[in-house]
Amino acid sequence: MSIIIKDLNKSYNNQHILENLSLQINTGSVFGLLGPNGAGKTTLVSILNQLIKKDSGNIEIYGFDLEKNSNEIKKISSYIPQTYAFYPNLTSYENLEFFGALYGLSGEKLKQQINYCIEVTSLEKYIHKKAFAYSGGVKRRLNIAIGLLNSPKIIYFDEPTVGIDPQSRKYILDVIKNLNKKLDTTIIYTSHYMEEIEFLCDEIAILDKKRIIIQDKKENLIQKKSIISIQLENRTLEVDVLNSYDNFLNIMSELKNKNEKIININFVDKNLENMFLSLTKEELRD
Amino acid sequence: MFNYILKKEFLLIIRDIHALLVLFIMPAVFILIMSLALKNTYSDSFETKLKVAVITEENIDTTTFVKDLNKSSYFSADLLFEESLKTLIYDKNYDFVIKIDKDFKNKINTNEEDFQIQSYSKADTNKEYFSILKNSIVEIISKNIMKEYFIKSKIDGKVLSQLSQKINNSYIYKDDKTKTKPNSVQQSVPAWLVFSMFFILIPISNTFINEKNFGTISRIRSINVSLFPILLGKILPYFIINQIQVIIMILIGIYIVPLCGGDSLVINGNYLLIFCMSSAISICAICFALLIANISKTTEEATSIGGVINIIFAALGGIMVPKFVMPEFMQNITSYSPMSWGLEGLLEIFIRGGDFSNIKIYLLYLLIFATISLLLAYILLKKGRN
Repeated sequence: MSIIIKDLNKSYNNQHILENLSLQINTGSVFGLLGPNGAGKTTLVSILNQLIKKDSGNIEIYGFDLEKNSNEIKKISSYIPQTYAFYPNLTSYENLEFFGALYGLSGEKLKQQINYCIEVTSLEKYIHKKAFAYSGGVKRRLNIAIGLLNSPKIIYFDEPTVGIDPQSRKYILDVIKNLNKKLDTTIIYTSHYMEEIEFLCDEIAILDKKRIIIQDKKENLIQKKSIISIQLENRTLEVDVLNSYDNFLNIMSELKNKNEKIININFVDKNLENMFLSLTKEELRD
Repeated sequence: MFNYILKKEFLLIIRDIHALLVLFIMPAVFILIMSLALKNTYSDSFETKLKVAVITEENIDTTTFVKDLNKSSYFSADLLFEESLKTLIYDKNYDFVIKIDKDFKNKINTNEEDFQIQSYSKADTNKEYFSILKNSIVEIISKNIMKEYFIKSKIDGKVLSQLSQKINNSYIYKDDKTKTKPNSVQQSVPAWLVFSMFFILIPISNTFINEKNFGTISRIRSINVSLFPILLGKILPYFIINQIQVIIMILIGIYIVPLCGGDSLVINGNYLLIFCMSSAISICAICFALLIANISKTTEEATSIGGVINIIFAALGGIMVPKFVMPEFMQNITSYSPMSWGLEGLLEIFIRGGDFSNIKIYLLYLLIFATISLLLAYILLKKGRN
């Protein structure tokens, strides 16, 4: 296991954000962390990256205790925030040079690592241009390149494709997939884009109401909900047939007894978005 | 690692064109303008004399009167016959028009009670200028009458004719230390230098707030790097920029201001003491900037809050209006502005040739202010993180 979290608690101003949260993430997996706004995803990622302190609970990352071995964990981790966390008035090369130096690189090793990161993210054309002039997609790629400087074993991606065009998004998703496949890097990926999570992740957890409400392999998770939609004259009923097929039969027989006219019966697509909405409910979140 | 941190910070400063304008061009322009504009205020004579038209009929007395008026370092007088006052004042740009009877001397000698000398000027004429003119007229006429009296009475009136040169003024300050009134450039260079050094808050707050808002600080904190080189790497470049400001502004005072017609900056004191003072001012300005950067959420907010506070510090601290022209209660208030501590410390060295004992109190005040600002900044930063 690359990450083991047990009974994690965190609160702000006496309000619980995370409550007895437990989670395990396999080494070398691409792990999707889903959750509606305000569910606590950013808090969890911030705790794992030691940006904020937990109230209680145990966290182990690659066998290191988060509190006792914080420096060792920082050495093998990389955090790629949602914001463009670099200096817009510096060029790509200057940004990479600065952050590389913070990672303890210097001289030839620093140059080699910068060249590697530039190559992986295809930033060759931009290395001597100031970052403020880049498109959203190139900025995202620079954000990722900086996160690869320390050759991390585990990378946290916090919504890395927000506000970019489909081509850049596909490129970034391919880069992430390759990092995982070629270097066996563990990826923790948070996003609101379900299709990205479906495309990338082996394992998914849904965080809502302060805790993990479900965690499983992607295939299993999507199978766990099979919805049949029954369209009547004046309303539509949705029935989870996987968990309670008897319930579906009962409903059908009741409809027949009441002489309700069934206009259409459909299997709802078994995609992640439907599963997510059915688990977290459809009401708006703050 | 440290050289890369310094390189990054220097590149950010050099590429921030607005900050460079505020840090280098603004004080240079202020020093030039204010040194030239305030030249008369600090001088014992006027660079541009006040134009006076004397309307009367020509005779020996009126010609002597105009001649004596022209001997003054303040006035350039012309003897004219009747002409419209408005034309003289608004078209011919006379600062004062004086109507004086050609028989003024006789009338004074015979105590003629309805005798008057009438002066005219624009409504916005400085009242102090009228006082100088009035005193000069009284002095010229009195001297002439007394001279005639002494000749008649066979009294040697040599001292009387040199009386104005024999009257000298010394400034008395409440702390009983000998202090010299600065000339315009000696006031302007340290004043606008201190002012501009405090504007280091613009690049500091820009960088700091952008780092905070863009998540760069979070990224740096997630890296296994000690806080000390990061902090030192942030402070040292701004300290160096402040010292470059000191050198450039002193050079402007010595070489550029005289080229534009102003006085040259003369430094009586020790250069090592100037470095001590400029270091303390710089540390104070940087710590204050860090506090403002932590109070503010956006760069616009930091620029507004910091800018307004700096201008208040400057107004109170004798930067905009020299301390010695302020009334006593205002002079007491200046003691609460960090810019005043910086300015007074520099003036001690620049003008009064002061030693370390003369500036130590200002160094202490500046460093206490810096420590309090840094502590508050740290508390706010910590509060924000939690």
